Amino acid sequence: MVTLLATVLIHIARAALLVFGVTVLVFILVRAIPGDAVDVLAIEGGLTDSQAEAMRAGLGLTASWLDQFTAWCLSALRGELGESLRFHVPVADLLLQAIPVTLALGAASLATGFVLAVAIALIATLRPRSIVASLVDILNIWSIAIPTFCAGLVAILVFSLWLGWLPVLGNFLVPVIILGLDAAGQIVKPLHEEMKELGTAVYIRTARAKGLHPLKIVIGHILPAAAPVLLAMTGLVAASFIGGALTMEVLFGLPGVGSLAFNAVNGRDYPLIQAVVLFLAVAVILINALTDLAQRLVDPRPER
Amino acid sequence: MISSTKVRRHALLTACGSLLLASSVSLPVIDASGQTADAPVHGGTLRLATLGLDTSDPHRHTGSIGVQQVYAESLTSIAPDGSTTPWLAESYEVSDDGLTYTFRLRDGVTFHNGDTLTAGDVLANFERVRENVEGGWLASAMGFTESFEAPDDRTFVVRLSEPYAPFLNLISELWILSPASPGWDETITQPIGTGPFLFGEWIPNISLVAPAFEGYWDGDLPYLDALEFNLTELSDPSLALRSGDLHIAPVSGDQLPIIAEAEDIDIQRLKDTSWYFWSFNNRSPRPPLDNVRVREAITYALDKQAYMAFIAGDQGIVTNQMVIPGNYYFDEALHEADQHAGADLDLARQILAEEGVDPSEVTLEVVSWQSPYAEVAVQMVRELGFDVEHAALEDLGAQQRLSQYDWDLAPMGSGPRADVFLRYVRMMSDGPNPVLWGGVQDEAYDQTVAAAVAETNPALRRQHYLDAWEMVMDNYWTVVAGHAPTVFGVRDEVEGFEFGFTYGPHYAGGGVAHAWLAP
Repeated sequence: MVTLLATVLIHIARAALLVFGVTVLVFILVRAIPGDAVDVLAIEGGLTDSQAEAMRAGLGLTASWLDQFTAWCLSALRGELGESLRFHVPVADLLLQAIPVTLALGAASLATGFVLAVAIALIATLRPRSIVASLVDILNIWSIAIPTFCAGLVAILVFSLWLGWLPVLGNFLVPVIILGLDAAGQIVKPLHEEMKELGTAVYIRTARAKGLHPLKIVIGHILPAAAPVLLAMTGLVAASFIGGALTMEVLFGLPGVGSLAFNAVNGRDYPLIQAVVLFLAVAVILINALTDLAQRLVDPRPER
Repeated sequence: MISSTKVRRHALLTACGSLLLASSVSLPVIDASGQTADAPVHGGTLRLATLGLDTSDPHRHTGSIGVQQVYAESLTSIAPDGSTTPWLAESYEVSDDGLTYTFRLRDGVTFHNGDTLTAGDVLANFERVRENVEGGWLASAMGFTESFEAPDDRTFVVRLSEPYAPFLNLISELWILSPASPGWDETITQPIGTGPFLFGEWIPNISLVAPAFEGYWDGDLPYLDALEFNLTELSDPSLALRSGDLHIAPVSGDQLPIIAEAEDIDIQRLKDTSWYFWSFNNRSPRPPLDNVRVREAITYALDKQAYMAFIAGDQGIVTNQMVIPGNYYFDEALHEADQHAGADLDLARQILAEEGVDPSEVTLEVVSWQSPYAEVAVQMVRELGFDVEHAALEDLGAQQRLSQYDWDLAPMGSGPRADVFLRYVRMMSDGPNPVLWGGVQDEAYDQTVAAAVAETNPALRRQHYLDAWEMVMDNYWTVVAGHAPTVFGVRDEVEGFEFGFTYGPHYAGGGVAHAWLAP
């Protein structure tokens, strides 16, 4: 019990340190790139040098980086993420509007990819010479070779412009399918390889010799044994979806966290960038922690 | 290329088209069955993408004005020909000395909260802008105001400390809001205006849904139930236009041929143009470009016809001025006398030789946005034998680099503006964001533009501006290649809508209030 508590505390401390490190890094990086929010406004309109300086001071951008960082950390610890420099609305409001979109897109895509990958891996293990077995490699190559952005553009051309079946803006179905295929391609190959390997194990041969139905062998014995690989790959893909659905969001006009971050960087909206990165860091750490936990549940051997 | 004659013809046709359109709106045709043809239809939501919306507080804008107009109106409006017309003011008078502006407010105008617009409300708006707004065109204009008065509910008087010619044009962007608007003392979060549509629900960088205002003062306008602005930074808005997700969207030059062929989409242009120019580093010019003859020689490498054709295809307008033929401030004689109307590489090389410059020994630092036309400029300069280091940077990167004044040439462009002064001011010593024009600092130029601004006689003011422009040309601070229209695609089902002089989708007598969706 004490060991478990110590492990949990170490994990939390490590996560907090990671979040702090990411926050510091992003704080420095966004200020190192040229321009700030006032420059963005100046480009769009007409600020004289003195007007720009007055605005910069008013937004607190003339304070030292240390002062700015300290002020932001203290606010964040109080649960206040500040106000957008560009839109003058609470950052928390913007984030709360974007998170559900990203979570829905990520969850739906992951579920699609997960189900597809497991189904194909199962069939390919059951029927190694069937056409489905070749889908493993096709999907895997697809996910490596076809950028989701290109697939999205082709889908728009075919389904929205030529066939007129689907809208471009706010289209949820096509991004889910594209991201789902991408996820499936990443998961299915290692899963299938693991299942093939397990299929040669002694206890599987014994099960076959006893006349157990092949489907029962695959579902009841091989798949559970391959679960650690499935979980690890799913966790990796899930973490990448938190911020990695940007291209789909931009292409289909979906107002998620990815496009929020993209616009925040373009607008040099420092408080918004910091908040988005904080969310992404915490989300990735949480996903990794949940994956770890699930791994321990399905395979307790590493603890022993 | 469009010649000046063609432009006039186009303008005439556009004007005739507008008249026909206006007559079709006011006098619907009744066919044999007694049904009206092409009569405005009430209802529907118009989905459009123009510019973004950075703030819910219309007084704090610093640019990117393409949305506010639908929920907030101003005393004056910019007409499609660029002139000023009354709007919330039904009339105005300017004193002979140009110091006193008296506005007579329109009767029966109500804010979205039901309150009647009074001169006191207008005064409160002008005071708020003067006291609270730090940046943008309006802050500069308010610097000339001495006092505001509201002698009665429908009369508003502004007194200036000195004549300021752009005043009427600039206050076309001073939105009149109810002082009861939430956030009035800080940042307005829910503007209560007088426009044909309400502020509605705004999600920054995503959308603004603006429902129709049933108590709008202008007849039975608007016809639409609502507007839905798409504020996302779409990778290619024309895709959403072609699919029908948007009714109105900007069309980039490379997409224009595709959209032009689409049977269900019409092409519209803002009446003002974007101008394209090459600026030299005027703040701290480096040898040999500190020699005006060398700048002249480099300008001879500019093939304006090819350059503008690359930028705008057959929509490009070649000239040497910051406004196009037909504009009051355009000068035909200057245009005809343009010695750089065509490239002359031999003459350029001759001038360089006379000035003792061997281009092969000179590396020019060119800074640009990541616009393809900048590379065309670079190739033209390379034709003279110069070595060129080209830094094509994203917007803010270019802005920062230009502000360091460690470069030689910047091929740039700038969009429509409500007043010609907003173009001239860029080259004044204390002008706003001067980097695109090389940071000119010249006392004589400043004085000439100041004289134009202070001149109450339009003809004399025009002459001052032209004098200032001749200084620009003679010194080769900035060389104009030409102009290109800002193009939008408008789907066929949108009726009664026409873009005005600038991006504003609602203006006196036109825009989205007059639009309807064909069933």
